[in-house]
Amino acid sequence: MMVERSLKYLDERLGTASLARKTLRKVFPDHWSFLLGEIALFALVVLIFTGTFLTFFYTPSVQEVVYNGPYAPLQGAEVSAAYNSVLRLSFEVRAGLLMRQTHHWAALVFVAAIVVHLCRIFFTGAFRRPREVNWIIGILLLFLALGEGFTGYSLPDDLLSGIGLRIFYAVTLAIPVIGTWVTYLLFGGEFPAPDIISRLFVFHIMLIPALLLALVGAHMAILVLQKHTQFPGHGRSERNVVGKRLWPEQTFKSVSLLLFTTAVLALLGGLAQINPVWQYGPFVAYNVSSPAQPDWYIGFLDGALRLGPPWDLTLWGFTISEVFWPAILFPGIAFGILTLWPWIERRFTKDRAEHHLLDRPRDTPVRTGIGAAGLMVFFIMFMEGGNDIFGVLLNVPVETVTRILQWSLLIAPILTFLVTYWICKSLSRTQLRPAHITAGVRLTRTHDGGYETVPLEPAEAEEKLEPEPAEP
Amino acid sequence: MTDSDQGSERVDVDRQTDHGPADQELTGGQRRAERRVGVALAVAILAGVGLFVVYFAGGQTQIEGVLFAVAFGGLGVALGIWANHLLDAREVVEERHELTSGPAGRAAFEMALTEEVGPVIGRRSMLLKLLAGAGGALGLALLLPVLSLGPAPGDSLKTTPWRRGSRVVDEEGEPVQLNQVPLNGFLTVFPEGHTGAADAQTLLIHVRPGSLKLPPDLMAGVPDGTHVAYSKICTHAGCPVGLYRAESQSLICPCHQSQFDVSDGAKPFFGPAARPLPQLLLGVDDENVLVAQGDFTAPVGPAFWDRGR
Repeated sequence: MMVERSLKYLDERLGTASLARKTLRKVFPDHWSFLLGEIALFALVVLIFTGTFLTFFYTPSVQEVVYNGPYAPLQGAEVSAAYNSVLRLSFEVRAGLLMRQTHHWAALVFVAAIVVHLCRIFFTGAFRRPREVNWIIGILLLFLALGEGFTGYSLPDDLLSGIGLRIFYAVTLAIPVIGTWVTYLLFGGEFPAPDIISRLFVFHIMLIPALLLALVGAHMAILVLQKHTQFPGHGRSERNVVGKRLWPEQTFKSVSLLLFTTAVLALLGGLAQINPVWQYGPFVAYNVSSPAQPDWYIGFLDGALRLGPPWDLTLWGFTISEVFWPAILFPGIAFGILTLWPWIERRFTKDRAEHHLLDRPRDTPVRTGIGAAGLMVFFIMFMEGGNDIFGVLLNVPVETVTRILQWSLLIAPILTFLVTYWICKSLSRTQLRPAHITAGVRLTRTHDGGYETVPLEPAEAEEKLEPEPAEP
Repeated sequence: MTDSDQGSERVDVDRQTDHGPADQELTGGQRRAERRVGVALAVAILAGVGLFVVYFAGGQTQIEGVLFAVAFGGLGVALGIWANHLLDAREVVEERHELTSGPAGRAAFEMALTEEVGPVIGRRSMLLKLLAGAGGALGLALLLPVLSLGPAPGDSLKTTPWRRGSRVVDEEGEPVQLNQVPLNGFLTVFPEGHTGAADAQTLLIHVRPGSLKLPPDLMAGVPDGTHVAYSKICTHAGCPVGLYRAESQSLICPCHQSQFDVSDGAKPFFGPAARPLPQLLLGVDDENVLVAQGDFTAPVGPAFWDRGR
């Protein structure tokens, strides 16, 4: 038989059979929240396939060309070759717009899934020994995902992304001491230097993806090596893993999730318009659009820039920009704390033991409170990123929105910590457990008139939970 | 069975324990699940065929998206139901193995590492230092090409193409005359010969007579007392300051809502910007065309480290 022959061929040369058998029998604990990282992985798969398609059509060049494609409002306009190729991809390449929009949606979902996965790891204490290395790799993956998103967003060379790039230029200029040099080396000169689009392209399709894939590989290899964490429960201990095997149960579930993720992204890519660059127009250095919002994951940084204080400093003739505080110092501290969290927490708990059983967030009220407060900080900045939109929607001056959010930034995180702490404490006191399906019992009447309860077998109980069709 | 087959035949115990027996007979629920899996797969097949039809009929983004979603979704539903109802989902307990190699293992590794090399290194510390020096020198030299990535900044951030006598032109390169911009209006202008230059973009604003509160030396660069010009690049993060409120004579940056008081030297009065928009002192030539008296009063755009030097 073909299969048997090829298995034998491989095994005789690579010794694959016993390794593959062991892998197939590997046990993974079963919990919905363990699938969040998988969603990120599957969005990455979609990104690679759609992105490869896009590279076959995209031109990374700012050379001026005259647009003469089918989109009437721009016919005859002088645009960059990059912008021209994105319009061609959107209007002339069959399935091109679907691929482009699916790629963009997949990027948004990719970062979102990473962030939610990160929250799960944080709030359940999954970063504790021995998983600190994978925590660091995970944080690096988040940074790479943000960089990948931003570089890709800037490639079409449209007016909106051009403004984003301009702001990024101001941020790198604000780095103390070396900012000017770093900016000129990165951008190839004063903004808008012509090299930047082709450089962004190299970052977006080569440097960052290579690092990203290498680290994803390491992330998963370490996961397999260390085995997955699990929630405490019947029969589960620090010394075992209770769950389903890779083959067949987990494989079926994961492939099913991959297919669902792809289905949702294809649906969004087909029906939900995203980044219509032909409406924004080509990048022109002295034009600007309003309102202007970046993709969601950069929103917190744009919001931070909006509510930052107008304080620049001059020290011995050198300038520290007002951009430094919100766009370099704040993210530096916030992501610094996040990266070092396993060690910060250990300093206070003195807990050096290995942990394979997860915490429930309510049982660690301080950590949960700090995490919630941190999320609140990012949420307020994210909201401020849309201050102009809220101003219009709520019919209040944009100044009011900004003032309210500036005060919220000082007060809300503290309140969030206190409320979260209190909720955790009272949940812990009540000893309420998350609802789960009980096995069920069979009630039988005994001969002497009493009742007797007999627990159902698990398989039988599952059957009973489904409505039976009426018997004829 | 060949010899090699027997050699690899290691039915090792995997430290796993199964819970629950395998149920061979199909229950009513399983039969229903089988039907549903079949339907979902059939739907996926139809959507796949539909994609062929749509593509060769010329393509249609929305329909393609929906059909892809139905095809992938149908397969996903099928596998999901399969996993939940048709696999005999047994909970398995696997023992964790010790992650560490232990003190003995580490000692053995250290031995292996130093056995051959250790004695050699110990006797030749001079060579070792030279080796480190060579590596360091080469490493730094390899970084040199990074410097080719951009020009030296020099004074380029502090200067723009505006010169004494530069005629003021609009986006089309046409010279701009006094009173060409209507009262309360504004225009984006450039120095002649540098139309569209990013760092030279300037806002020419025709303000109400007598509304400017500028010191005399700056007022001397405002022809007619009504034609004032400021850099269009926001001093905060560099966006073009594109919004003008004529009634309050204020400029608003649409990116981060910094607001500048045009009447008072474009000083910021709300938002994150810390410095006023630099002014461009203007005059009028004998053809009534606006001309610059020189470069801006300060470096344009966002702050940088040696801005004040």
